[in-house]
Amino acid sequence: MTNNIIQVQGVSKIFGGLTAVNNVNLDIAEGSIYSIIGPNGAGKTTLFNCISGFYVPDHGTVLFQGLVLNGRSTDTVASLGLSRTYQNIRLFSNLTAIENVLVGQQPRLKETWVESIIRTHRSKNEEKTSLEEGFKWLDFVGLSEFADSIAGDLPYGAQRRLEIARALGSKPSLLLLDEPTAGMNPQETLEMTALIRSLRDKFNITIILIEHDMHVVMGISDYISVLDFGNKIAEGKPEEIQHNESVIEAYLGPGGAALAQKYRRKKAS
Amino acid sequence: MNDPSSLPLTPKGKNNLQTNTNNAVKKIQSIQNSKFMKLLRPILGVVVSLYIVFRLYQVLVVQHEYGPDTWTRLLISGLIIGGVYALIAIGYTLVYGILFMINFAHGEVMMFGAYAGLYSFWAFKIIPVAGNPPTNFLNAYPILAIILAFLIGMTVSATLGYFLEKIAYRPLRKAPRLVPLISAIGASIFLQNAAMLLFSPQLRDVTNPEILRRGAGWTIVVNGSNVVLPYTGVFTFVLSILLLVGLYILVRKSKLGRAMRATALDKKTAALMGVDVDSTISRTFIISGALAGAAGVMWGLHNGLVYYFVGFIPGIKAFTAAVLGGIGNIPGAMVGGLVLGIVESMGPAALGIDFQLKDVLSFLILIFVLTFRPSGLLGEVLSEEKV
Amino acid sequence: MKTLIRQSIRTGITFGIVQVFFILIAFNTMIGIMLAKVSGIKNPGEIPAPKFLIAYTILMGLWVGIAALSKKKSLPAGQKLVAGFTASLISAILVGLLEIGMTAILVNKIFIRDFLTVLSFDFIKATLFGLTPSMGILVTIGCILLGSLVGVGLNILSNLHAVQEHWKKDLAFIKNISEKVQYSIHGKYHLIWQIVGISLLAVAVILIPMKWGSYWNYVFGTVGLYVILGLGLNIIVGLSGQLVLGYIAFFAIGAYTMALLNAPEPHNLMWGFWPALLLGVVLSALSGLLLGLPIMRLRGDYLAIVTLGFGEIIRILLKSDVLTNFTGGPRGIQNIHGPSLFGKPFNSEVDFVYLIIAGVILASFVYNRLQQSRTGRAWLAIREDETVARASGVDTIKYKLLALAIGAAFAGLAGGIYASRNQFTGPDEHALMASINVLSLIIVGGMGNIPGTILGAFTLKGLPEILREFANFRLLAFGALLVFMMLSRPEGLIPSHRPKYSKPKETAADLQKKEVPHDK
Repeated sequence: MTNNIIQVQGVSKIFGGLTAVNNVNLDIAEGSIYSIIGPNGAGKTTLFNCISGFYVPDHGTVLFQGLVLNGRSTDTVASLGLSRTYQNIRLFSNLTAIENVLVGQQPRLKETWVESIIRTHRSKNEEKTSLEEGFKWLDFVGLSEFADSIAGDLPYGAQRRLEIARALGSKPSLLLLDEPTAGMNPQETLEMTALIRSLRDKFNITIILIEHDMHVVMGISDYISVLDFGNKIAEGKPEEIQHNESVIEAYLGPGGAALAQKYRRKKAS
Repeated sequence: MNDPSSLPLTPKGKNNLQTNTNNAVKKIQSIQNSKFMKLLRPILGVVVSLYIVFRLYQVLVVQHEYGPDTWTRLLISGLIIGGVYALIAIGYTLVYGILFMINFAHGEVMMFGAYAGLYSFWAFKIIPVAGNPPTNFLNAYPILAIILAFLIGMTVSATLGYFLEKIAYRPLRKAPRLVPLISAIGASIFLQNAAMLLFSPQLRDVTNPEILRRGAGWTIVVNGSNVVLPYTGVFTFVLSILLLVGLYILVRKSKLGRAMRATALDKKTAALMGVDVDSTISRTFIISGALAGAAGVMWGLHNGLVYYFVGFIPGIKAFTAAVLGGIGNIPGAMVGGLVLGIVESMGPAALGIDFQLKDVLSFLILIFVLTFRPSGLLGEVLSEEKV
Repeated sequence: MKTLIRQSIRTGITFGIVQVFFILIAFNTMIGIMLAKVSGIKNPGEIPAPKFLIAYTILMGLWVGIAALSKKKSLPAGQKLVAGFTASLISAILVGLLEIGMTAILVNKIFIRDFLTVLSFDFIKATLFGLTPSMGILVTIGCILLGSLVGVGLNILSNLHAVQEHWKKDLAFIKNISEKVQYSIHGKYHLIWQIVGISLLAVAVILIPMKWGSYWNYVFGTVGLYVILGLGLNIIVGLSGQLVLGYIAFFAIGAYTMALLNAPEPHNLMWGFWPALLLGVVLSALSGLLLGLPIMRLRGDYLAIVTLGFGEIIRILLKSDVLTNFTGGPRGIQNIHGPSLFGKPFNSEVDFVYLIIAGVILASFVYNRLQQSRTGRAWLAIREDETVARASGVDTIKYKLLALAIGAAFAGLAGGIYASRNQFTGPDEHALMASINVLSLIIVGGMGNIPGTILGAFTLKGLPEILREFANFRLLAFGALLVFMMLSRPEGLIPSHRPKYSKPKETAADLQKKEVPHDK
């Protein structure tokens, strides 16, 4: 059995009368890139929120490295080693880029406020190393020359990358990316894909991805789950998903599968 | 993207997991601490409720200091003051609902209304009316005088509200939230001192028309003792309720009300749907100003004293009432106003506290309600924030 | 041309109303008295001589003229003349109408002071320059027009080519000098400059209080106390973004702790100053925590009203008869003792100024250190976006409580010193207005930075003390200033800048670690 970093067991989330996520199970192997796809409103972000502690699932449990996450506050979840980014970018927009990354390191730092005032040897060292790490992360996402720019003034793509750098600050073992390439041009998308892949390859960070761009999804995912109306309708390797009839119907509507088959045959001939 | 190999993560190692799990154990201990925090509120609630019940039992059953007549008196004065609070609170709630700002100067808008009422009554008293014996306008046509005074008071306050928004708030609509608040505080200080310089710092006595003489009223007998139901009080209460109902109908049924609700929900979309956002906001200020003006005139009629500081305390109380009822919520403001008025007048007696501490009681109620129901009595419970 | 005239008419109406308002609050006689004093008349009395009022009216006209042409640099001179003339004429007409009304009051001997308190007959006569009503009105209109023409003339003159060239030269000269100064400060000599600057400041701080009279020291001390308060509130509002309106309650707790422990009445405990100060600081911080615990879930405006309520509760409790035996009730507490250091008792204003300066330095030091640390960044993150800060692993509740406690401790420090310096404290010193003053000073100065707080304290606490002349107009101007500042410069007089971080220099040890070659 591979080592599962996160297990989602029968998670449901209900808003009023609407079941946004319905009895979803996921087992995500450590060191994999796992994509969650599905049409708009399928409950992907809600599932993310259940995993990262923003929502408490109504049913089911989320296990992270064998620990139950349900009901833990988001800061606890973050300090366990689970970071995330947001669908609509949410940076600390009046702080500089490097400050954003430094805030991301909060859960690992030990300096107390008394130490901040007295400035002990330890706190000085900690400040120095965290600054070094912060700059390295900025380098890694290619923003080192923007370190002192106000985050809100950065261009769109840079803001996305900065959000990832901030999430990496806590040295996570699991990173949730909510539509990291949304609104990017093809060139930026390629760069982002490479960045995501290198995160896994170089630092063994497990990545869960919500993404609409199928090129990205099919290109980098090890495994894919498909949500529709809160239900998981399929899971498997990318090529399996590409041929799954219920997935195609979910995207194209009823009869879509037949249409796709026809198209494929035509292309082959 | 250079040199990732020296990045601060342990590459491809299990170390990572190890430290995280250690961390986790520590965190779980701290979670047990926060469980205690979670329990703190219910425990606090039970303790406070038990204490209140105990005090009530002490005062009402054991000491039995006040008879039903006193309670009736207190209830009456509570309802009257509560009605006025509700009228002012509506202004806060309307503005907050639309602009998400505390109109700190609202109490001063009410104060100008009170002055307008005071001066109207004075002027009516001066205007002579022929007759036998010669009398003055105020006593010859008291009902007309009252109506006119209210109209003048409401107009003055509504105008003030309109210009207040236009000068001090409109340019700041997109600014961070602290900025309009400070502007409002500045406007409040300015208006108070302008009133002091214009109208002198003295306390002024309101001249009531004969039919609404202060202190006079119907007498009802409760428990063998006379309880006065003051004319001014009944008038104030009835008029407040009428105005509140009128406003409620306006917001629910009229086109302007629909525009106001749309603007409150989403200014951009409302503008796209053809709502003139600027004029809707202006009108909101006019309406809340007019209500505050009416409250000011009533305040003068019932309490009899007007001075430049008269709007400050009722303003703060009314804001408390609006928050108590759930700010942004119109019925909430009414309920909050009435509850606050009653708590203020009956609370000290019921709990056996000094009457000087009635304000302490009302603020404590506020803290208590917000601790257990952060959205206020009638406010919607905000759902978990979307991310 | 049409829009120009319409704009000018609007300006004219606005300024007309402002001038009418000024007359109705007797601002004209106040300025007249000031002018009289400036020109050397010792006792101008309540109503100054007509010539000073004429000067005031011309000044008003000048103001209208300049205001009508603001933002209209590029107009030809003729149009400027028209605009200025229209605006001033309209405002003059409005003032004239007011004076006609005042004349009617004067002629019919109507006693109107019950309604508008300044309109005594003497005042009306003075406003008409002691002339006959019709002449007075004409002179008023004439003066306003004259003033505005002067204003327009100045405007046209300053836009002439030659004058502009001259200006540019001057500006370039000043800029050159300031650049040189900047360079020398930030360049390689900056350490020397810093040392020189700090030592100059230190000398000034040590010497000046000795030279000043006790009144100036009192003012200076008050400003210093407000700097401490401002820094404390800055931690709560400016850094952690929690709007607290009842801040002065913590000040009151500090002041009353000092008073109750240190004064002979009502308890005669007679603690020393230092332990009482320390206990006051601790108690304030604890009360900050206690207030914070139940309301941590509230955001923004709810927090504001709850803390406002808390402040009022403290004030009312202090004032009430219920606690008279314990806190001295409405009369307050007198005869609070001062501190002594190394056997030398503090008994003059000068000693307290030094104590306050020490307090300011301590507060600035703590503030600065916190701001530049992990703690400060956690606060800023909470201010920016609490939800995300939390999800990034910031323990938001802990940090918000910490901000409240530290901010409250600052207030407790200021309160203890204040009570001891004044040898008195009473409930009315801790009213809501005081909280609002502190909030205003940090916002006017520039939120979240130390120089801004100091400047704000000088502007809002120091200036009013200095401008005693304006007594009645002080708060009016204060309110107007707040609105005006928010409209024109909401970031404050000295806006905050984010600090720059540079990559830490790599030490030899670091370099050794980095022997692994790049994989590129």
